[in-house]
Amino acid sequence: MAELEFIHVGKTYGGEAPAVRDLNLKIDEGEFVVLVGPSGCGKTTALRMVAGLEEITEGEIRIGDRVVNDLAPRERDIAMVFQNYALYPHKTIYENLAFGLRMRKVPKDEQRRRVEEIAQKLGLADMLNRRPAQLSGGQRQRVAMGRAIVREPEAFLMDEPLSNLDAKLRVQMRAEIARIQQALEVTTLYVTHDQVEAMTMGDRVAVMRDGVLQQVDTPQRLYDAPANLFVASFVGSPPMNLFEATVEADGTQLVFGETRLELGGRLLRDYSGRRLVVGIRPEEVREASGWDGARVRGRVLLVEALGAEQLIHIEIAASPLERADLVDAAAQPPGPTLGVEELERSVTLLGRFDRHLLLTPGEAVEVAIDPSLLHFFDLETGLALPTTDVPAVAGVAG
Amino acid sequence: MSSVTQIAPTPVAPVVTRPRSRKRLRKAGWNVLGLLVLAVMVFPVYWMVSTAFKPGHDILSYTPQFIPTHPVLSNFTDAIHQQFFWNAVKNSLIVTSVVVVLSLVLAFLAALALAKFSFYGRKPFIVVILGVQMVPLAALIIPLYILMSRVHQVDKLSGVIVMYLTFVLPFAVWTLRGFLLGVPKELEESAMVDGATRFGAFVRILLPLLGPGLVATSIFAFIQAWNEFIIAYVFLHTPEKQTLMVWLASFTTLRGTDWGPLMAGATLCSLPVIIFFVLVQRKIAFGLTAGAVKG
Repeated sequence: MAELEFIHVGKTYGGEAPAVRDLNLKIDEGEFVVLVGPSGCGKTTALRMVAGLEEITEGEIRIGDRVVNDLAPRERDIAMVFQNYALYPHKTIYENLAFGLRMRKVPKDEQRRRVEEIAQKLGLADMLNRRPAQLSGGQRQRVAMGRAIVREPEAFLMDEPLSNLDAKLRVQMRAEIARIQQALEVTTLYVTHDQVEAMTMGDRVAVMRDGVLQQVDTPQRLYDAPANLFVASFVGSPPMNLFEATVEADGTQLVFGETRLELGGRLLRDYSGRRLVVGIRPEEVREASGWDGARVRGRVLLVEALGAEQLIHIEIAASPLERADLVDAAAQPPGPTLGVEELERSVTLLGRFDRHLLLTPGEAVEVAIDPSLLHFFDLETGLALPTTDVPAVAGVAG
Repeated sequence: MSSVTQIAPTPVAPVVTRPRSRKRLRKAGWNVLGLLVLAVMVFPVYWMVSTAFKPGHDILSYTPQFIPTHPVLSNFTDAIHQQFFWNAVKNSLIVTSVVVVLSLVLAFLAALALAKFSFYGRKPFIVVILGVQMVPLAALIIPLYILMSRVHQVDKLSGVIVMYLTFVLPFAVWTLRGFLLGVPKELEESAMVDGATRFGAFVRILLPLLGPGLVATSIFAFIQAWNEFIIAYVFLHTPEKQTLMVWLASFTTLRGTDWGPLMAGATLCSLPVIIFFVLVQRKIAFGLTAGAVKG
């Protein structure tokens, strides 16, 4: 077991834009860090550089106290679980599990003891003589995990190991992997594009975009205090609602559409008279009955019942975010609709409501907005803005 | 060029909702066609074998005898006792086995380079490999002869082996490359992370998975080297150095053709190919890589 460190790591494929830029990230001993981002953000490249399957263009990668830049994969003492499992089809499950031990010249009886122990733990004991083709997807996934565990390596690298499983099995394996990692306390770097996986599994989550690390923090802080618009839009499902607004009255009021919102105890003095981006999580969008604070008028567009709760799309008057390049492409807010004709510009707010609330499409509704729960971002840079009177939620994580 | 045929799958009649009898008729039609093709393919082989067992007067009779009514083995003993038979057997075995082994080793390494590494000029190289196979052999005989005589390889088995390799390798490399491309790269990467060297991953993981490809290639190489006639005939003058196919031609002399022993010899010459095929064909197991990645 060892710590894992990226120091100013960059990767360029001949002539193209860099796949990874100046990556600095330290994974402590025994820590589970998830590298997450949309496809093509460089997360897999970063992982493969640790494994030694990809050369490092610049910077340094350390495992423990060794710089591993020039070491062959087999000299790095790491184990990797691949997206497609990469089981050796011509070998039995036993041989698959024992392969790494055999390569390292572990004595035969020690090999047998360790393989059988792992097989027992993972429920593969009855299948040791079968071949991968005879196993189900979940069992293959387990063999792939077992092959990594049995080696007792310095660190685990996992490249989207769950993406080939069906939804139910994925949830089950997610918990299982997290449990195994906690039990073994092996330093783990886990790559995924699924932010739910990232949030549920990682001790810390590192969000990447276009080869650049955006933010590294615990899942909760990532959710509560996203460092920029991209992280805000990427983390959370459904994603954060984002729209533009103008700051007025010396930074004490927010104006969008016909709404003028008192910011309460918060100040955006530097932005007085300027436009910025406002963000609000779907669960903070509430129905206004019994609320004596600020309200926003809107109209129900769509009701999605999820059983325990319902997602309600509410159209309000506000300017949609123009800078689509600053947010996650998958979390783009739906474009302006024709629902509220008298309003020039409208934004769809997605709200997470109690299932007992009865609302029907077309109905007018008032939404309660608690200014202390709003997130603010710079329109140009996309960076999160601190407010002067700093409540916990507005702090910027580094 | 070679006698590798019958690899294409049986045509499947399209499923349509038509009266049953019509569908059945169609199927019967295809079957009859298939049987006809089979008959055309098999008849010469049958004729060769049956002639080998016929006594001389039956062979030359005007009414063809389809079944040897008085089978004899004398043609076989004549053939075996024909001069240089055992020399020819030895030579053919040497040439064929060396060609098969060398072509497998070289083709595996070349195919690895083509499938797994990117280097300058890889694409043109692949195209050239295919291109050289288009050149007719007859056009190459004279230039080859000049070339080989300059390096003193005429009338030597080694010279013939080199030439056979040049014909076998392009096909072998091309075939193996296809098989290699079918093996997901994560398998060797996984092996490398697990502690194998790059070459170790090739040998321990890729090589076993190439089984079907290696078998297909070795059958091709075997047939090519064993059955080849023109090059051997042109380049091997000394009777002691001739291969079996050239030896077979020695039954045709200025005085005529000794059909009985010739057919017996031809039958004997066919046996090794059949035996080799039977030995290795079980290895052409399909779907060997199944289960490597998600199913």
